[in-house]
Amino acid sequence: MTLLFNMIGIVSDNWLLLLVGQFPNGPLGGIAATLILSILGIALAFPLSVAMALARLSPWPVLRWPATALVYVVRGVPLLLIILWVYFLLPLLIGESVPGFVTMLATLVIYEGAFLSEIVRAGITALPRGQMDAARALGHSHLGAMRYVILPQALFNMIPSIISQFVSTIKETTLGYIINVPELTFAAGQINNRLLTKPFEVYFILAIIYFVVCWTLTKLASTLERRIAVRRARSMDGAAAPALAAASRT
Amino acid sequence: MSNQASNSTATPMIEFIGINKFYGSLPALVDINAEVKKGEVVVVCGPSGSGKSTLIRTVNRLEEIQSGVLRFDGQNVHAKISSLAMNHLRSRIGFVFQSFNLFPHLSVLDNVMLSPVKVNGIKRSKAREIALQLLDRVGLSSKAQNYPAQLSGGQQQRVAIARALAMEPPAMLFDEPTSALDPEMVGEVLAVMRGLARDGMTMMCVTHEMNFARDVADRVWFMDAGRLLESASPSAFFGSPQHPRAQRFLSDLRAR
Repeated sequence: MTLLFNMIGIVSDNWLLLLVGQFPNGPLGGIAATLILSILGIALAFPLSVAMALARLSPWPVLRWPATALVYVVRGVPLLLIILWVYFLLPLLIGESVPGFVTMLATLVIYEGAFLSEIVRAGITALPRGQMDAARALGHSHLGAMRYVILPQALFNMIPSIISQFVSTIKETTLGYIINVPELTFAAGQINNRLLTKPFEVYFILAIIYFVVCWTLTKLASTLERRIAVRRARSMDGAAAPALAAASRT
Repeated sequence: MSNQASNSTATPMIEFIGINKFYGSLPALVDINAEVKKGEVVVVCGPSGSGKSTLIRTVNRLEEIQSGVLRFDGQNVHAKISSLAMNHLRSRIGFVFQSFNLFPHLSVLDNVMLSPVKVNGIKRSKAREIALQLLDRVGLSSKAQNYPAQLSGGQQQRVAIARALAMEPPAMLFDEPTSALDPEMVGEVLAVMRGLARDGMTMMCVTHEMNFARDVADRVWFMDAGRLLESASPSAFFGSPQHPRAQRFLSDLRAR
């Protein structure tokens, strides 16, 4: 019971810090920064991931190889290491110091880009081959077929997976803590440092906040997934029923 | 019924010259030599796995070949040509698939309009007009705003035919267009195909519909094990097939 009181006390004393960090007196932080970082990360990673998926599926090896290599490297290395690489390399490359927020954003774009590209690729290859055949037979170029026929269907089917990836991204932003990105975990760390005696309460609050945000989004994803499955089943009906009839005939 | 007779020039639309194709070491097409003349309707028949579908898919290069020359309207299809030229060539070859392959995310009207607009660069208003005419021709103008999933198999296949016709191809290829259909829907698709043949369209059809072959075809090709064993008029093919394999195929069909 005292635990609950303590937690309510901590939240009511520090809610602004948890919400927006030291903004407007300092950089934007807290849950606002976490969400902005995640949204920007996914939003910027998305076009990159479509380009990488197309490159991996393209008929031209010049595009296929680099994209495949990048995906394998990123998937085979811990996120923390990529953060450190970007943290130390990016300032060297552009010749000036880079804010933690930007470092973390760049990391997320690379990391999520690679993972999302695998999702997009799976979405493309899951479509029946006949779709590409039909588009090519009508005279569309490979890219035209992708643009007008394949991607609209694949991306629609991929919406739930993309939301799941967004949830992962939110959780991954916590790693920004080690390079002092002022996001939600960082704000909790500040509170803990000030109170000193209540780490359990502070980090329990932190866990609850992450859980509520991520659980809501996961719920949304599964609802959408069900709706899309229903729609897809309906769109299959037309093709599947006669195919079954044909199978039973032969 | 014979368009061939009325077409005195009888220039070839599709020429197969010494076509060979292998899947690994497995021969899929063996030394195919044949031609489809302009205005002619050719029905390709034979047991499953005989290479009929493979053959028809080589015409618009959905399948590659290992040797031989294939000309469509005088153009060498399997030559080293730019992808732009290949796309243009494909846009002139109407192709209808067994599984319809309509685009499920687009309305019926947009299925028919998409390629004239995006491939041929025709204005949307003009493409819409043409699409509605074609849908009317296949008896589906009332379904223009529906999505493919809301249509029966027979209706979907008729839309697929309209979609292919929208590119104004000089020839149409049909790869088992009625094989995935419920029996009661076969007739409506064949009726559309009969109409096309009557209007003088050059057609190459892989089909098991022997009545269609008898009534509509100018020539029947019989294939087995990747070889073109017989090419004859329907009356000759159904009346007195020459090749023993064709005789057995026809007697098996009658026994069913």
